[in-house]
This record gives sequence, C-alpha cells and structure tokens, in this order.
Amino acid sequence: MSNEAVLQTSVEGAVAHGVHHEDEHHEHHHHDTFISKYVFSMDHKMIAKQFLITGMVWAVLGGLMSVLFRLQLGYPDSHFTFLEDILGKFWVQDGKITPQAYYALVTTHGTVLVFFVLTAGLSGTFANFLIPLQVGARDMASPFMNMLSYWFFFLASVIMLSSIFVETGPFSGGWTAYPPLSALRGASPGSGTGMDLWIIAMALFVVSSLLGGLNYIATILNMRTKGMSMTRLPLTIWALFFTAVLGVLSFPVLLSGFILLIFDRNFGTSFYLSDIFVQGSGANTGILPNEGGNAILFQHLFWFLGHPEVYIILLPAMGMVSEILSVNSRKPIFGYMAMVGSLFAIAILAFLVWAHHMFVTGLNPFLGSIFVLLTLLIAVPSAIKVFNWLTTLWRGNIRFTPAMMFAIGFVSLFISGGLTGIWLGNSALDIHLHDTYFVIAHFHIVMGVASMFGMFAGIYHWYPKMYGRYLNNTLGYMHFWITMIGAYLIFWPMHYEGLAGMPRRYYDYSIWESFKQFGGLNQFISTVALIVFATQILFLFNFFYSIWKGRKVTSKNPYNSNTLEWTTPINPGHGNWVGEIPEVHRWAYDYAKDGKEFVPQNVPIDPNESHHH
Amino acid sequence: MATTTATATVAPKYWSGGRSPFNVEYGKLMMWYFLMSDAFTFGAFLIAYGTTRFAANGWPNPNEVFKSYPGAGEHPNAPLVFVSVMTFILIVSSVTMVLAVQAGHEMKKSRVVFNLILTIIGGLAFLGCQAWEWTHLHAEGAWWGHNPFLNSNGSVGHQDFTNFFFTITGFHGFHVFSGVIINIVMLIMTLLGVFEKRGHYLMIEKAGLYWHFVDLVWVFVFTCFYLI
Amino acid sequence: MEQHTAYSDVLHEDTHGGGTKEVIKVTIILSVLTIVEVFLGFWMIGMEENGFGKHFVKGVIIILMLAKAFYIVGYFMHLKHELKNLIMTIIVPCLLFVWFITAFLFDGNSFRTLRNKYNPVYKQMTTEKAPATEEKKDEKKPGQE
Repeated sequence: MSNEAVLQTSVEGAVAHGVHHEDEHHEHHHHDTFISKYVFSMDHKMIAKQFLITGMVWAVLGGLMSVLFRLQLGYPDSHFTFLEDILGKFWVQDGKITPQAYYALVTTHGTVLVFFVLTAGLSGTFANFLIPLQVGARDMASPFMNMLSYWFFFLASVIMLSSIFVETGPFSGGWTAYPPLSALRGASPGSGTGMDLWIIAMALFVVSSLLGGLNYIATILNMRTKGMSMTRLPLTIWALFFTAVLGVLSFPVLLSGFILLIFDRNFGTSFYLSDIFVQGSGANTGILPNEGGNAILFQHLFWFLGHPEVYIILLPAMGMVSEILSVNSRKPIFGYMAMVGSLFAIAILAFLVWAHHMFVTGLNPFLGSIFVLLTLLIAVPSAIKVFNWLTTLWRGNIRFTPAMMFAIGFVSLFISGGLTGIWLGNSALDIHLHDTYFVIAHFHIVMGVASMFGMFAGIYHWYPKMYGRYLNNTLGYMHFWITMIGAYLIFWPMHYEGLAGMPRRYYDYSIWESFKQFGGLNQFISTVALIVFATQILFLFNFFYSIWKGRKVTSKNPYNSNTLEWTTPINPGHGNWVGEIPEVHRWAYDYAKDGKEFVPQNVPIDPNESHHH
Repeated sequence: MATTTATATVAPKYWSGGRSPFNVEYGKLMMWYFLMSDAFTFGAFLIAYGTTRFAANGWPNPNEVFKSYPGAGEHPNAPLVFVSVMTFILIVSSVTMVLAVQAGHEMKKSRVVFNLILTIIGGLAFLGCQAWEWTHLHAEGAWWGHNPFLNSNGSVGHQDFTNFFFTITGFHGFHVFSGVIINIVMLIMTLLGVFEKRGHYLMIEKAGLYWHFVDLVWVFVFTCFYLI
Repeated sequence: MEQHTAYSDVLHEDTHGGGTKEVIKVTIILSVLTIVEVFLGFWMIGMEENGFGKHFVKGVIIILMLAKAFYIVGYFMHLKHELKNLIMTIIVPCLLFVWFITAFLFDGNSFRTLRNKYNPVYKQMTTEKAPATEEKKDEKKPGQE
C-alpha cells in the first residue's frame, strides 16, 4: 500500500530538516517543463486544479447519467431513438433505456458523485488549495505524496470510466455494493467484470484519499506559520482538518470490507454469503456451497465508512460557507469556538451513527434504538452551525457576490434537507420511509446539492486566487438562480412521492396502480433536471472561458479579506510567498472592528485595540 | 478547545504556530497517523471476525487445529507451542529494532547495522514459520473456502474459520513482509552512510514505528485466533 | 521544501526514554505476559465450552493482551515519552473502537439468536454432530464434548 510512499517522502522531509536554512528568502529558479508544471506537478495549487477539473469531468458524466435515467422515469412511454445511435444497444433499445442500463446508470451516478466529485473533487480541491495558503505554508508537508494522491485518484478514475465501456456494462447493484449482488459474479450482468473494475477503482480511491488525508493533517498541525495558533485558523481549515481525520479513520474500514468482498468474489470464501439458492442452468444451479457468512456484516463495514463519508462531503462545504459568509457580510463569524466545537462534535458523532442506514435490514431493533438516539444528537451541532450562519448574516453589510449567493443557498438547503433527516433518524418512521423517494429527496438536498453549492461557492470565491481572473458575474447569477430554484423543484416533490410510499430504484412506475398518479410529477422533475443540467454547462463555459478571457484581478486582496491567501502575489508561484511567510497576529475574522472594515491576520496588534483573539 | 489556548501561554508555545505542536517532524507524525488508519484496517478485519464468531452457533477449537510443529510426526498434540515460538520471535525482533533506533540516536552506525540485521533475520524467521504453518494447514485440507476442522460442538466446521484465518494472518504476513523490505532498505542506507551524512537516524525511527506496529497487530491476531 | 526550516529545533529537543535498561525491563514484562497468556490458554483447554470459567479466562487473556499492547505502544513505539498532545491525538481516536466493537459484536450476537429462532434447519445443522463419513480425518474429532 502506501508504506513505501510514506517512507520515500520522509526521506525528502528529513533531508529538508537536516539542512538548516537560516533564510527563507532565496527563490528557487526551477526550469519547469510542461510535464513538471502541469502534469506531475508537486505544487499544491496545481494539484488542486487537477482535482477540480477531474472532479468537474466526473460531475458532468454523473449529471449526464442522472439526466438519462430521469428520462426513463419521467417519460417511460416515450422512445428516444436518437439515443440508440449514440449509446448503443446495451444502453438503449427501442428508444428506451434498458433496465440493466438503468441500474448501471443509477449505480455509477451514485458512486461517481459521492466519491469522485464530492470527495475528491471537493475536499481534494480545496484542502489542497487552501490549507497551505491559509495556514501560511509554502506547500503541503509532503508534496510528493500529494502528487501521488492525485495520480491514484486519476488511476481510479480511468478504471471506473473504463468499466462503463465493458461489454456487460458497469456494476449495477447500487453504489452501496451490497452483497450478494456484488459478491456473486453471476448475480447480474454488471456483477462480473463491471464489479471487478468498480472495486479496483474504489480501492485505488481509498489509497488516494489516505495519502491526501495524512498530508492535510500533518500540514495543518505541523506547518502553521508563526502566530497561527489552532484557534486563529480560518474555519475552512478546521473543517478540512476534521474532514481529513474522518477520511483517515473511516476509509480503511471500507478497504477491509472490500478486501473481504474480493475474497468472496474470487476465492470461494463466504464472509458475506449464506443461504443462497442460485437459479440458472448448468453446474451453478442449486444451493450455493459457500455459506455461514452474514450480509449485514458488509453493511456494517460499508456504513462505518459510509456515514463519515457524508460528513467528508459536507464539512468542507460548511467550512467554506462559514468563511464566505463572514467575508461577504463584513462581520466576524458568529460564535467561532461554537463553530469549531460543533465541527468536532459532528466529526465524533459521524462515527457513532452508521447503523441508521440499516434500520430495516435485519439490524437488532434494540441496537437500532441506540442508533436513533445518537443520530438525533447530530441535530444539536447542526443547529448550532445554522444559527451561527444566520446570526453572521444578521445586520451584515452583505455583498451579494455569486459566491455569497451560493453560500446562502447552502444554508437554505442544509436547513430544509437537515430537517427531513430528523424524520429519517427515527427507526419507527424509517419503517415507512426507508427506500422511498423521501430518502432520495433528503440526502440529495442536504448532502448532494448542498455540498455542490458549497463547492460552487468555493469556486466562485477562490477563482481569482486560482487563475488570477474573475468568473463572469452575470453568468454566475444565472447559474445560481436556476440551480437554486431547480434543485428545490426537483427534490421538493420527491418528499410527497416518498411519503406516498413510492420506492426508489424502480425502473418504471407507470405500471403501478399506486404510483401512476405521479406520472405528471415525474415528468416535471425530469424536465427541470434537464434544465438544471444545461445550466451547469453554462457554468462550465464560464469556468473555462474565464481562465483565459476573464476579467483580470488587479489587486492582491480583491474581497478585502483577512485570511493569508490574499497576502500572496496575484499569481503565486510554487512556494506561495515571495520572501518571508507573513507572521499571524490575530484570528481570521476581524471585520468591522474598531471602525476598520477589515484587519488582515498579518497586521500586528495595535496597543489601543479592543480585545483580540 | 479552551485548553489549547491555555497551553499556548505556557512557556514552550507548542500550539502558537511556527513549530510542530508535538515536537516531531512531519514524517513521524504522518507515520503515526498512517499507523492509526492501518489500525482501523486491522481493527475492521478483527471485528468482522468477532462478529462472525458471535453470529455462529459453533466454531472450531483452535487448540485442535493449531497443534502441530515442524517435525512433529503423524499425530502431533502440542497446541500453542509453535505459535508461541512465532510470537517470541516477533517480540525479540521488536526489541532489536528498539536497540537499532537507540543506537541511531547515539549515532553508532555499527550497532545500528548489527541490530537491523538481527531484526531482519527475526522478520524472515517469522515469515518462514508462517509459511510452514500455512503449508501444513493446506496439506490438512484447509484453505480459503475449505474448512476440514469440525466445530467444537461436533457439527460441520464453520467455513469462515479458515477464511478469516488465512485472510487476516495473510494480511499481517504481508505487513511483516513489507516491514522486512523497509528494514533492508534502511540497512542498505545505513551501510552507505546516508544517515550519517544527514546527521540523524530519524528514518530508522519511522521504520521502527512501522515494525513495532506489525508486532502490535500480531499481539491481537495471536490472542484472537489462537487463544480465545 | 523550504517551509521546514522552523522545525530544525525538533531534532535536538527530542525527549529520550529510559535507554537500554527500560528496553530490557519491557522485554521481560512482555515475555512474562505472553507466558502467562499461553499458560492460561493451556489451562482453558479442559474447560467446559461456553461455561463461565472459560469466558472468565478469555476475559483475563484480553486484558493481558491490552497490557501487552500498552507496553509495545508506550515503550517500544516510544509514545509514552512523547508530548502529551501527541499522545492524546493517538489515544482519543482509538476510543472509537469501543462503540465500533460493541455495536458489531452485539449485532452479530443478535443475528445468531434471530437466525436460530426463525431458521430451525440452520440451528439443527450447526449444532448437530457432523456425519462421520464425510470427514476423512475422523480421528481428528475434537476431544471435549
């Protein structure tokens, strides 16, 4: 695994430690080739952009997949023959998405969005980009491991992508990969080669996120600049720190679960298999000889990662939103320590609540009731955060930049999605609501769309730092309003469908007497989904167009922001600061203090100043 | 969190930035946290094993399974003997690793080399024992998916007994193997005088951490598979 | 990699443990603990399966295991001589194992009872003696009943 990498990079580190440079002034004049600057780059800013753009590619693919299966759900009777020419017989027959393709699309959409977009694309991008810049370090603790982290992710991406093109299709048993669909090669067409590739890609992804996470933690703890105590860190960094901790402690458990799954698939074991009758022809028919295992064991192992994963996705968005709300309200963040404390509480609770995903799978009901209690506790730190965001906005001198709009949108979505979480956290209500569209609505709003909004907010806010140019604001506002309204129009009706008992993962609802009534609603949802997806293309255009043609940033600190990244040159080189790294004298939220609009972190304390952090 | 601000005011300002709050360089810190995550990997394996055992009505008695040793003849009946030897080998190799690390702190190259060689021999000896044990069990018909040993209540043996045994000891053996490789690399680097030129033997310390972790995992594997 | 400069003091301030003497002491402790464990293991062989005695001895063995882990992590891995901050960042996350283990084992146990209740065939198969003809190594049948 990553042992060799750890060792190899610590060699470099130790070299750097042994050499005692007194001055940090001298600038390196590397001759960067195209390869070392854009491909195998060790600059954290370039790696961040690599994560971001790979994540965006996946977001488009994942979004496109959702559009395709929404076509089936919204227009079950229509025939889109043109799709057949584009996608081929496996995916579309007679102008309809085939059932097999439908499940493959749902599965890949989930896997890709959860892991590749919202984990690697979100925390990979912003942890890499912001940690060294905001804590005042020249790069990550180990730039080499950081590079490896991206390339493991890239490899995982390539393998996951290639699984879409195999003859039997990608894995189609749901992103949670529950056995026996994932354990028996013959369970479905996608359970063979498709699942092999899926699981290899995921294993590589785990390695990538471990390499990244270890680096983020070591950098935040060890590499803070002078004066940057933990309680002066911007909330982004705190959030990314807890995210990394969650990843480092929970991804290994997923890896273990996957290793056992690989043995079940390939080496005749039965960790997860028991009492299975295989129907078919030939020698494989009959009672499966592998038995004695326990499918619920996999679910436990999976959700031990799976639940922290939700917060791996959400926490970076929370951190960035806190920062953006404070900067653009021109007010200090309300309740900084409460924000840190609630992040900490969420991080701990994340590890204690995993079985609330399993209330109806055969989990012991008494154990379930304990998980209900622990789950509902999450409402406390979540509410603290929400109230602190709202009070930060309260009477603020708000600048409605696109980043700010998305940040406010995040808060809105987090509230409306979080409230339904309280419903679902009750094991009794879950008997009715599990596996319905209510669940889909809940987690898409609170985790999916909300985190996407956090990501958009981050991109709009830090784009000038990334590329030295601004994104187009008009396109940004269009992007925000259509996405915001669209997200609610798509997911709000799903609550009603779910309450009416409409199950998720069905291929065609029009043949069910009980769900026929939702035909029109499904059609509406699909249409909005298509429009929202098209709007994201608008954003992509804005993004790539602005890299080359956007309005140039003319000042180092365009937002009058306090954090350290705005003390670097407009286009910082590798090493971030020319000359010495600034020393920090205060926390990151001295806005509207003593009559000054903002006081950056590197400004020394004035003796006449009112109390400071 | 209030305590962190409090400690920051105490004489060495560990948390106030510009230095490591733990007084360790980042490589060691990363090694520690890597080992933490690896502990969760092994922990998940062992807990999965425990869960399966709790979910089973019967389980083979380890004393009936692991009772042979090399050259024992047809009907060996010496439970725990061979595995105790293995455990002892690993503990001793851990001790020599500590001595190598200490010698590194004192910049005594020849003692580092000597102790590293002993550690490597210990590691290889352990791997050899494990290879023998696996071969022996395989000859008895045990393998992934095959359990010839009856449960202690006399019923047909639980399949996951051998499944977990080979998976977890295999995963541990893989760690021992990579540890031996790392130690060999360390040995070569020491012999080439890399650390001497560098002025410190911190790399040996990190390799040591990894090696002790492997020993630590064995403590758990030994208890969970052979004793209880 | 210039950012590492500030930490060169780390190398010289390293707190050392008790030296070779401590290593010998810990080695002896670990050996003794292992010998006691193995002794308990032998003692357990004759005990009644699922009886109180056996469970009690197993509990003692687990406590000894944790003691061994403490000595390895504390002295061999030097954690005891590190700063308290570092010790806490290692120990506190490990507390997660408490609920990790409890919940998993509890549910494993529940799975067994539920299965025995609703699947009598399974119960019969896993508690009844295996047909002797199936086993080629018949003489290897466990001793205690």
